[in-house]
Amino acid sequence: MDIVSYMFGKSIFVGMIVGILSLYAISRQKSDLHTLLLTDLVECAMLVIIAAVGTDLAEALILPGLVVGLAEVLAVSEILIYRNEVRKNNLMSDNKKLRLFEEFLAKEEPYVNTDVNFNKMEVIYSAPKFIGFILVLYGAFLTGFTGGAVMASGLLFYLLSQGAIGNGVSFNDIKHSWEAISGFSGIMWAFWILLGFAGFFLFPEHYLFFLVITGCALALKVGSKLGLIGSLRI
Amino acid sequence: MSLNIDSIAGVFYGYIPFGDIVFYFTEFSLIGFIIALFFTLVVYLTKPEKQLEFQIGDFGDKLNYVSLEELKIRRLMAIVCGICTAFAMLTGDLFDYALFLAVIGIANMGIVSAVKKEGVLSAAFYYGIIAMISTLPLFGASALILAKTGTLSILELAKNSHDLLFQKIIYAVGMVGETGIAPFYAAKAEMFRAPGAPYILMIHLSSLLIIVRTVEIMLNVH
Repeated sequence: MDIVSYMFGKSIFVGMIVGILSLYAISRQKSDLHTLLLTDLVECAMLVIIAAVGTDLAEALILPGLVVGLAEVLAVSEILIYRNEVRKNNLMSDNKKLRLFEEFLAKEEPYVNTDVNFNKMEVIYSAPKFIGFILVLYGAFLTGFTGGAVMASGLLFYLLSQGAIGNGVSFNDIKHSWEAISGFSGIMWAFWILLGFAGFFLFPEHYLFFLVITGCALALKVGSKLGLIGSLRI
Repeated sequence: MSLNIDSIAGVFYGYIPFGDIVFYFTEFSLIGFIIALFFTLVVYLTKPEKQLEFQIGDFGDKLNYVSLEELKIRRLMAIVCGICTAFAMLTGDLFDYALFLAVIGIANMGIVSAVKKEGVLSAAFYYGIIAMISTLPLFGASALILAKTGTLSILELAKNSHDLLFQKIIYAVGMVGETGIAPFYAAKAEMFRAPGAPYILMIHLSSLLIIVRTVEIMLNVH
């Protein structure tokens, strides 16, 4: 019995248990924000169940499942933010209307302090460097297109978080670094297509050499190209 | 291609070999497709209502004004919802169908949440929570069907008997949470009385068509 079919039943069981426990936790929650976070956990359990199948097709299904889950989380969190704004405005204008059957409706949910001054949190300054460094290292270790994507996500995360804190890249810096990084990316493209990929077919006996060139150049190319997005200061 | 789905879905007209995602045409799916597209067109062409609110115990009625921008967003969401419903009628792939359901769920959330009232936004939020929770049974059931039979194609699954009762029940539960429950939340927020009502009706129509289509799929896949 191979590993996938050995783990299949157990993975399905774990996914179902995680889902049911999250549902129980959601039913006990008072804060809407915690409900949203726990709902995201249910979606992770959904990914576990899909991943338990362990075939190529299941691998292709995980990505759309993840995207749909993220889209729903984004939509619901937007609604939550807007709802809280509307509620705050209603409280400020202080014309509380009587609702029909008010005594049968649920009580007001407890007050959650949402006015946190995020700029004063130490973790915002220390964590992005660490996470970005780990991702870039791991991407360099992976090589190839996947490694480039991981590396780029590290760069992207670091630059975006710098922009979010407030000490982002200035416009003059962008003009130079943009040209430099895109030039570097172009050279790496030439490396992986012309040297690596063509050499792979021309000299099949030295395949390992060209494979390493292709992998490293592709990682650097994708990493630098996607990292450009981070300097956009969206 | 021999199929024994004729008895439920009507005459089989053919399919589009569109990679993995196969759209197929039967009498049933074509009728559903045309209905959904027709109502999408109706939603595109209709002008929204204006709403007049009584003041209880007071004189003077209040006209609820809805800005053009807000209406455009709601109409876009209604059209996305209609187009997704139309193509969910045609699709021949269980996972693809689940993805269409999820997109319809997001569009429904968009339609509901475009009304800037606290109660309506609350209902949209809770609907979103339910829709996100029910991705577990929906996608999980399609993964279980894939694990048991090795395929997700409705045309393939309709050929032989597979004993999929449990998976089909979970799939139906997921469908109910994702799209079928949407009218309840629309009604909970008294959406018919919310300004700019006609776009809300797309939620009801899509939910109705999706429930009928899911029953048809569940009967075909066996």
